Amino acid sequence: MQDPRLRLLAAVFLSLAAFASTAGAVAVLAWWLIFTPRTKVLPRLGVFLPLIAMIAATALLSAWGGGAGLSYLIRMLALLLLAAWTYAGTEDGEVLAVAVWALGNRVGFEIGLIAEMGLTSLAVIRQEIEQMRVAMALKGIRPGARSIVPLAVTLIVTQIRRSDEIARLLVVRGYTIGGRICPRFSADQRDIPAFLTAIIPGVLSCLPLRDVFILVG
Amino acid sequence: MRVDLEDLLFSRGLFSLRGSGTFEEGVHLISGPVGSGKSTLALLLAELLRPGSGAVRRHDVSSALLLLQFPEHQITCPTVAEEIGSWGLAPEDVLAQADLLRRGDDDPFHLSRGELKRLVLACTLMRNPDLLMLDEPFSSLDCTAKRTACRMIEERDEGITIIFSHERAVLPRVDTLWEMEAGTLTACGSVPCAIPRWRHAPPYLRYALDEGACPENIRLADAREALCRIRG
Repeated sequence: MQDPRLRLLAAVFLSLAAFASTAGAVAVLAWWLIFTPRTKVLPRLGVFLPLIAMIAATALLSAWGGGAGLSYLIRMLALLLLAAWTYAGTEDGEVLAVAVWALGNRVGFEIGLIAEMGLTSLAVIRQEIEQMRVAMALKGIRPGARSIVPLAVTLIVTQIRRSDEIARLLVVRGYTIGGRICPRFSADQRDIPAFLTAIIPGVLSCLPLRDVFILVG
Repeated sequence: MRVDLEDLLFSRGLFSLRGSGTFEEGVHLISGPVGSGKSTLALLLAELLRPGSGAVRRHDVSSALLLLQFPEHQITCPTVAEEIGSWGLAPEDVLAQADLLRRGDDDPFHLSRGELKRLVLACTLMRNPDLLMLDEPFSSLDCTAKRTACRMIEERDEGITIIFSHERAVLPRVDTLWEMEAGTLTACGSVPCAIPRWRHAPPYLRYALDEGACPENIRLADAREALCRIRG
């Protein structure tokens, strides 16, 4: 999906559907299969499989305790695939452009800038994890429970420090509030059908269907 | 103990790296301008990158270590003492060697770039591996720290030490010179015979050669001594 406005809105509707019910999550999975490049937008297996394993373990624990483990698994899987698709399709500056288009040069710019910084941080964190993996390999440290805590602490502290540096940099450059950009968007032929199809499960999951239809059984 | 580069070829985008040769025991200096491919070769030698074709073969090398160009990329712990511990070393010894006494409880990222470089360099050298690869070990260091680093490198009396550097002011005594230019690795040969062929020779060495002197090695002291010899 080329138009970032439609992509982000579609992601919102589909997230609602996946969050609301198992049927909605199944509809999202079907949408994902039809309208996205599927495996091409997934992160590499080393990142994706541990996430799936964590979700599966939680679902298993939930099912074992009598909870809705399978429903949790399907919904979380749908959300994860949706997040991967949205993240992979988002290019630098797009979130800022959408926020300014929706909310203007003052509030929109602020929200967009914060969101852009957040997305940039994700890319930086990924890069830093890779660097730490290399550093650990060089030191002969095997990844494990003992090494995860210091690594996580180092990552978090580094991120906090980077945020502080960026904030200071913005002040030094004279940034106070808002900004001015003229967002331009382009779309391809599949954008509209994909977006309209994404609305359906989102809307249906929010509507109290029992009040609309007379359900038998 | 040796490392062979067998028709190594690595490509990334428009950049290609080629190299062949053997690294015997001793200190090797691979010099070349920024962006010529030194760091990529270091990563290939450390087996952190895979070549497109050819191979890096290690013979009788039981341990290897690479000092990365950017010291912050080597940090994995929240305090200096823990960081030293993650290298399997005793903090007191390394802190003394890196001139960072009483900084053990500090956050490594609160050290200056030069201090961090000293810390990581000291850890790398004190691990004393068979194959030691140092990517730009002198960057971010002041002259005193560069001289200390040179002394520590020279004190390594066994193993293979490969220095990748564009440094042209403070250099250690080396055994072999190599050049990297536009992704191509060229062996200049053993020192001192290779010195006149060394295109990236620092200005003081070039001056000594132009004056007709024959320095024994590549340090400033060697150039000065050679000039003194011919001038009586």
